[in-house]
Amino acid sequence: MDPLEYVWAGVLAVFLGPEAFSILGVGIPMTVLMVAGGFLVGIVGGATPGLAGPFLMAVALPILLSVFGFTPDALLPVLGFLIGVMKGATVGGAVPAILFNTPGTPDAMLTTLDGFPMAKKGEADRALRTAHFASVSGDTFSDLVLFTCAPFLAIVVEAYLGFNEKAALIILSLSFVAAVVGSSPMKGLISGFLGLFIASIATGQDNYPRLSLGTETMQSGVPLITAVLGVLILGEVLVAFEEMYRARNRTTIATSDGPQFKSGRLSFADRRRLMPFISISAVIGTIVGALPGIGSTLAATLGYATGERMHKGPVPFGKGTPEGIAATEAANSSVSGSNLIPVLSLGIPGNVAAVFLILAAESIGGFNPGPSVFRFTTEQVNPELVIAFGLFTAMMFANILNWFTGAHIMRACGVMSRVPRQVLLPMVLLVTLAAIYVQETNFGVLYFALAFAVLGYLMRKLRVPTLPFVISFILAANLEEALRQAFAVSNADPFFLFKSPLSVVFLVLSVVVVVFFSRPRREPSEPTNGSDRRST
Amino acid sequence: MSDRRSELVLATVIAALSALTLFVWIPADIDTGMIETFRRQTFIGDAFLPALSAAGMMLCALIQLVTVWRRAASDRPGPVLDGTTLAFFVGFAVIVAVSLATMFWLGAAVWDVLGDGERTYREMRGTAPWKYLGFAFGGTALVWGTISLIEGRVSAKRLLAAALFVTALIAIFDLPFDSILLPPNGDW
Repeated sequence: MDPLEYVWAGVLAVFLGPEAFSILGVGIPMTVLMVAGGFLVGIVGGATPGLAGPFLMAVALPILLSVFGFTPDALLPVLGFLIGVMKGATVGGAVPAILFNTPGTPDAMLTTLDGFPMAKKGEADRALRTAHFASVSGDTFSDLVLFTCAPFLAIVVEAYLGFNEKAALIILSLSFVAAVVGSSPMKGLISGFLGLFIASIATGQDNYPRLSLGTETMQSGVPLITAVLGVLILGEVLVAFEEMYRARNRTTIATSDGPQFKSGRLSFADRRRLMPFISISAVIGTIVGALPGIGSTLAATLGYATGERMHKGPVPFGKGTPEGIAATEAANSSVSGSNLIPVLSLGIPGNVAAVFLILAAESIGGFNPGPSVFRFTTEQVNPELVIAFGLFTAMMFANILNWFTGAHIMRACGVMSRVPRQVLLPMVLLVTLAAIYVQETNFGVLYFALAFAVLGYLMRKLRVPTLPFVISFILAANLEEALRQAFAVSNADPFFLFKSPLSVVFLVLSVVVVVFFSRPRREPSEPTNGSDRRST
Repeated sequence: MSDRRSELVLATVIAALSALTLFVWIPADIDTGMIETFRRQTFIGDAFLPALSAAGMMLCALIQLVTVWRRAASDRPGPVLDGTTLAFFVGFAVIVAVSLATMFWLGAAVWDVLGDGERTYREMRGTAPWKYLGFAFGGTALVWGTISLIEGRVSAKRLLAAALFVTALIAIFDLPFDSILLPPNGDW
């Protein structure tokens, strides 16, 4: 197969794949249905303060695995749903930010600065349309960069990196994530090392499952999805519970009355005026998104600051100008596509959403994100490459759906902002536990989940970032395998990691990045888990 | 960053636990060393990655300890865990324990009392209403109990919301998918 045939096979895998049902004899492909379903769920979830894309992906993943099973046919529908959620939540987060001054997702915080003043002036509809236009433009741009860059990067990595360079690259990625997420690189590294250590339990090459303490419970190892959901989702839920428990005697924050809606359709001239802000922010967001560990909140901040410098209109930033919304939304949305560049080209997840995509792929099997995916074999079909192009097709389909329907769904989701958090989050707890159970069908995993929830809670309270833990946990097996193979091919040279200039460069950079981010600096003023929110 | 005392305690505890892991747990609970030679082939043993991780944690914790130790004492907020935290977690632990116990045992217990005496709950775990009892009551207890704990009051409206939510979950999970077993039915 030549490259174009691979692309076409990916498109066909989405649109001519297994049917969900048929209407008047016309089959509705399962992947298309799942992308659309995920997109809808994502917008509704993103518009609900307290929920976010990663929450929804976390809860959906075990359920999807239980429903679709572990066959190759499950890959595109499951990944398609998660992609849909990711994209939907990105635009949905702007809804409560604009209508009620409450960001639905952490990266929509800056959208409140201009969105809510516009809503108060009776321009809520116009603000929502601006947010949607900027968001979907940034997202589409970022996806196009992903489609172009990921295959080339993967081919370069596959062609030039040996085992020792791959091991060094994983070390560099982990160091980078550990250093940039959170307020202290040392804590980030501790978190990363802890992830590696826990992933070692009951794995290895020896017959005896290492570190299992001779117990039956430990001999089957730590369930991957349970641990990740426990630390990432349930830990966050526990922190929120405690915060609300502390605040229960205080006066609740008064929410404003519903905003006034009057039609605010964007004209061509409006869109042309917004485009410079959207373009710059999309580039910023795409660059930030391609770096592991740096999340959409930083992209939104940089996009907003850059837009503010460019802006010369009558209404300044922060007082209710559409350019402010456009700069923020384009930046935070353009993170989502490029976030997948390290996942698809290197197999290294850089943020929470990517973690769940990797977990889905690993759980189902038949698709191992990394450089080997992009082998354009001509004699034999590379099924992983077909899946990769199927994934790209699903992303573009979600974008098209977003362009045509996103703004309407966003406006309909305003009601979700009124769901009280103290009611919503206990429900999230139950759904997460139920989702974990339906996949493992073992009550014991709920105790594992709760134990990891406490770990996640303590990490957040003590400002130890959770993302390095999760990424190390997922990459531990790859790292160990690369180290073993690099050592073996070096004929047991103790300096096996320093035998190639490229691997030395990666290792030196690993140290440099930690030292650089360890410099004394001003700490963020946000409470508890702000460090993690940067990366969600 | 947290207050200085919490930071010091955290770094000390991590350093101590890492040392214990590195020098006691790993040697005692892994059969191969960091580097192994077998039939003239030298390879990385099973202890390599855990030992590397534990050593890394210990080193980082010590660096953190020294860094925080040199920091001024009065520039940080109060402790991260206090009496309110304890009160919350005691209440929450009770709610979780009661809810999970209800979830696990209720269906089987009710079947023991009201069942035909010939079949076991295992045989009935796929049959309504028995298969829903544990999840419905345990789930409602978990959601309603947690909301009540957080709000500091019990409310019939919240109970109704919790019950409706659990009913919706049952409808979403169980009705369309034959392959899905709600908790705790996979264990029976």
